[in-house]
Amino acid sequence: MQLDSVLTQILWNRVLSVADEAATGLIRTSYSSVVRDFHDFACGLFDIEGNLLAHSTKTTTAFIGVMPYVMRNFLEHFPVADLQPGDALITNDPWQGTGHAYDLCIASPIFHKDAIVAFSICIVHHLDVGGRMATTESKDMYEEGLRLPMLKLYRAGEFDPAIRQIIRANVREPDKMFGDMRAQIVANNVCGRGLVSMLEDYGLDARALLALSHEISSRSEASLRAKIAEVPDGTYENEVTLPTIGNVSGIRIKVALTVQGDSIVIDYAGSSGEVAAAVNTTFNMTRSYSMYPIKLALDPSVPNNEGSFRPVTVKAPEGSLLNCRPPAPTWGRTMVCHNLPEIVFGALAKALPGRIMAGSGATPLVFTYFRAKRMDGRTYVGITSSMGGLGANARTDGPTARGFPYNVGNIPIETAENDLPIIYLKKELVPDSGGPGRNRGGLGQTFEFVVADGELGPDGPMVVGIRGSGRKPDSPYPVFGRLGGGVGRGEHLMLNDVEIPHGPQQALRPGDRLSMALPGGGGFGLATEREPERVARDVRLGYVSVQAALDDYGVVLDAAGGIDAEATRKARAARA
Amino acid sequence: MPGSYRIGVDIGGTFTDFTMVDDRTGDVFVEKCLTTPDRPERAVLEGMRRFKQLRADTLHNAEAVIHATTLLTNVVLERKGALTGLLTTAGFRDVLEFAREMRYDIYDPFIEFPEPLVERPLRIGVPERVLVDGRVHVPLDEAAVRAAAAVFRKAGVQSVAVCFLHSYRNPDHERRAREILAAELPGVEFSISSEVHPEPKEYERTSTTVVDAYVKPTAAQYLDRLSAELRADGYPNNLFVMLSNGGTATAETTKRFPVQAVESGPAAGVEAAAHYGRLIGARRLLSFDMGGTTAKLCVVLDGKAARTRTFEVDRVQRFKPGSGIPIATPVYDLLEIGAGGGSIARVNALGLMQVGPDSANSSPGPACYDLGGEHPTVTDCDLVLGFLDADSFLGGEMKLSAAAAERAVRNKLAEPLATSVVEAAWGVHNLVNETMASAARVHIAEKGQTARNLTLVGFGGAGPVHAIGLARKLGCPQVVIPPLPGVMSAFGLLTAPMAIERPRAVRRLLRDVDLAELDRWTHALETEAAALLPAGGTLNYACMADIWRVGQDYPLEIEVVGRWSDAGARQRIEDAFNREYAEHYGRVDDDTPLEVVTLRVKAWQASAKPVVKPGAAGADPQPKAQRRLYVPSAGGYQQAPVYARKDLGPGSRIAGPAIIEERESTTVIDRGDTLTVDEFGCLVVTLASQEAQ
Repeated sequence: MQLDSVLTQILWNRVLSVADEAATGLIRTSYSSVVRDFHDFACGLFDIEGNLLAHSTKTTTAFIGVMPYVMRNFLEHFPVADLQPGDALITNDPWQGTGHAYDLCIASPIFHKDAIVAFSICIVHHLDVGGRMATTESKDMYEEGLRLPMLKLYRAGEFDPAIRQIIRANVREPDKMFGDMRAQIVANNVCGRGLVSMLEDYGLDARALLALSHEISSRSEASLRAKIAEVPDGTYENEVTLPTIGNVSGIRIKVALTVQGDSIVIDYAGSSGEVAAAVNTTFNMTRSYSMYPIKLALDPSVPNNEGSFRPVTVKAPEGSLLNCRPPAPTWGRTMVCHNLPEIVFGALAKALPGRIMAGSGATPLVFTYFRAKRMDGRTYVGITSSMGGLGANARTDGPTARGFPYNVGNIPIETAENDLPIIYLKKELVPDSGGPGRNRGGLGQTFEFVVADGELGPDGPMVVGIRGSGRKPDSPYPVFGRLGGGVGRGEHLMLNDVEIPHGPQQALRPGDRLSMALPGGGGFGLATEREPERVARDVRLGYVSVQAALDDYGVVLDAAGGIDAEATRKARAARA
Repeated sequence: MPGSYRIGVDIGGTFTDFTMVDDRTGDVFVEKCLTTPDRPERAVLEGMRRFKQLRADTLHNAEAVIHATTLLTNVVLERKGALTGLLTTAGFRDVLEFAREMRYDIYDPFIEFPEPLVERPLRIGVPERVLVDGRVHVPLDEAAVRAAAAVFRKAGVQSVAVCFLHSYRNPDHERRAREILAAELPGVEFSISSEVHPEPKEYERTSTTVVDAYVKPTAAQYLDRLSAELRADGYPNNLFVMLSNGGTATAETTKRFPVQAVESGPAAGVEAAAHYGRLIGARRLLSFDMGGTTAKLCVVLDGKAARTRTFEVDRVQRFKPGSGIPIATPVYDLLEIGAGGGSIARVNALGLMQVGPDSANSSPGPACYDLGGEHPTVTDCDLVLGFLDADSFLGGEMKLSAAAAERAVRNKLAEPLATSVVEAAWGVHNLVNETMASAARVHIAEKGQTARNLTLVGFGGAGPVHAIGLARKLGCPQVVIPPLPGVMSAFGLLTAPMAIERPRAVRRLLRDVDLAELDRWTHALETEAAALLPAGGTLNYACMADIWRVGQDYPLEIEVVGRWSDAGARQRIEDAFNREYAEHYGRVDDDTPLEVVTLRVKAWQASAKPVVKPGAAGADPQPKAQRRLYVPSAGGYQQAPVYARKDLGPGSRIAGPAIIEERESTTVIDRGDTLTVDEFGCLVVTLASQEAQ
């Protein structure tokens, strides 16, 4: 068959929708809000060589660039000839997979006419895999729970009983875990069914599918290369020092981004080495979070697949924080690698001033992990999560409270209070938290909850893993603005009104209050260039205070909120 | 003789469609007027005037005027609703702005979200708190409610939404707050979340309640105005309104919960498809409505359409889920795709052909309208392919320019892609079908169905033109084109029962729940629902329970037959759930206990079902002409017979390739397809093969 411009587009749409069908199957059969509300998962479809054809629209961004390597690792380990229908492969090895043991990667071969034609992968974040759980304090990977090397989980449709027993003996909520593992298998089944029906409809075989994969990959690759070619050649650098994590201070990330013709090399040489906190990042994650900002900045509208990765090479010295070696502990690696897109943006902004968004208050992800027993004897494992403000960009203000660079949702208050022994006291926007700028950063938020007492409360102290933002405006690593835009503001992490460190576990008792504030996004452009009308509107809506309108924007408002044009002109002139 | 006519009125973006059935004779009448957006009732009265010319006693002897409208959706889209206040639990007034804190598109660096319908200064928190188990943790601060009322009064607020945490479990505080506000704010409308949508997840509940409050004054004024005008014209009865989840309610009831009517027009189309499904005995349908800018698909099983609680209005990006304002009350689960006759085809930056989602709309419209449109659209390509005819579009009232269509296809598609005009046109036709099929596959899978078991019911102006191709791609074995496909929504208004549904949160394990208490709740909901229907008619009730396995989040709706406390009912409900679950997800090795999440009672009064009288029986119809048609299975043009639909009658049988024309649409069948006309006048097409083209 010949892949003309129409058929290619038709089949391309089809494989994209097949990946989305898989995600739907997963969500509807899942037992955890981590999948349903938080969306910490990905579904991917691969050709027989292990090239990524399509990923689900609903996905956390980290997994997109990880999946192709997980797929290749599986293929190296399990010869295609040894696989049969109903087989499923699994690993949660941080180096083979996504960088920590919580993500179970499950792959299934897709058979058509008695031969393997493709593969699907579904990765899901499980809340517990045994070990110490959710803390930066683990000293090595052995403290971080059960590690499943590359294994065959299902043989011809049968769950391997030995693996099942090993899991049951090692994790706290095995039934919930098995429930979500089944949902992952459902996702792979749905993916396989959808692809086979496409092959049947169009009379395609494995070779034709491979041709399609090459065709769409090369189109995605060519498109990104053309965009890279428009970026001036050169090496662009950036360097930041991250906030203290647990008791580790001074973590340095250094990047050199070299644009040459239609290729980019991103090199992290000079970054810190492995650290004694569970935030070490395996190379799979480093690479993925370095690819994503390139795609987002240069060629966002073309579907992402294997071809989108080819123009970009990522390097990080072995043994560094960004390419750690076993047995480094890795649980909280996103406290480091969630910063990479913004750091890469910082370098890229030097090549493309005016085109790169400001930093985001939701970077890195903030969340709390709970495990305990209720008074009625039920055990639970759960999370809550909230987002800071998105950075402003050249066109618009940053939206309020949205995740970046990952893309997960909040857990509704009413869901969290049903799942966990907590009572929220508030969850509100923080006025003045958005970085001032011609375009303002999105507002951050603050929330506070108290541990319930009595019937709804825990049976004794509960262990909670807590990660805040740590990006304070006056620190070396605030939420940066761009082109003169101000930093995002409003950050704290307090237990009973006392500041606590980010990362280590805390024991919470009934009546304890945890309060967090997540910064707003960075501003874009000079605040004194923001139209006074937009500042006045922000004041009217309670996003910006009257005082900040004057201090940050040089806009003077009268008692009714009207603009005092003359006073504003003078105030702005005084700042120029 | 009173009560002889029933009249359906569907106000769409461009046209207001009318249908009328004379229940004495079974005659069905159809009219179409241009919509009058500023005063929608003007077009309605014009339609009535035309009907009166046909039957002088139209309004005096009308039993029901049933209405569907896009008015409420437009009120939200254009931000023309009431100045609205929102009262929340103190500390949680920004729920509306947080939404779910996700980006709906991970690759959009300039992502934007809809502006909240209530601005921050009018979102006021008051001290009160109910816990997850319904216990009062903090009593309602009534002085704070009065203080909020003062703020609302000063701002000139016209409508107030009240949404407190966990009110789905204990509505006392919301009710008391409304009492206080009502006393403080005469003339203001109220919506409270425990009545509008008593279910957990605070963002979706707040959003739904706010939309309800936001459109309430507009809905009330408009419905009052229209009712008064119709009454002045001699109409003696209640005005009825189609709801988004099927069924119809009186204008009075709609005014209480207007959020339930935002998708009334599309729901009426689904009702019509379901009606024909029942008539012809097809248990599983895919309703397919394709117009000028969008296509809408809906799975209908056993006469019941699938429903969703993830409907959105005012999407920033129309076809991107998550970019709009959610309405969580159940609405018919319509899949809306940016694919219609006006969808523009182009070569994209990757050198690939792309169709939609943007549309040429009605101005300038497709190139063939010859009104200055340069971009080739789906309609232009259908004209080039011979699926449409330049001289018989809209019954010949609107001449199309084949030359302009061909020029647009040549300039914008064929030349850039170095292919022929016909191949480019076929590419567009095929691609738009595939775009719809791709989206439909996900949708059908979500409903746990397979296309091979679905009969496709095609309508709308472009529906019959694309129905066969779409069915072939999906693997649907049969396509039905009912009579009057161009006014199906208005016709659907005549087929739906008078119905209303009331929910109540439960959240108890099925094995532990007090069944006598559920019976009492069911009875209370029945009483509540009955009070919302017009007095007099015979009432029917159905009780549904939303049930999931504890720990899951996607309930299945299980019908409760008989009483909860009947012998063996608990086991029957569990068995019904397990059957349904296996059908959807294919696995039964899960013994997690079941939880009853929500109870729903639906009350309805049946109405007579109209039937469009088919033409005279005739097994051997004669074509009115021959024309050049692109026959996909042959890969080129052939001469094909053109039949006028009015010349066909029950028993008529046509072998493809062939064209069947009627005023508002055209049906095209391929070589090997066979078309028969059934006793109800439906065109029933059995597809030759299910292979893709």
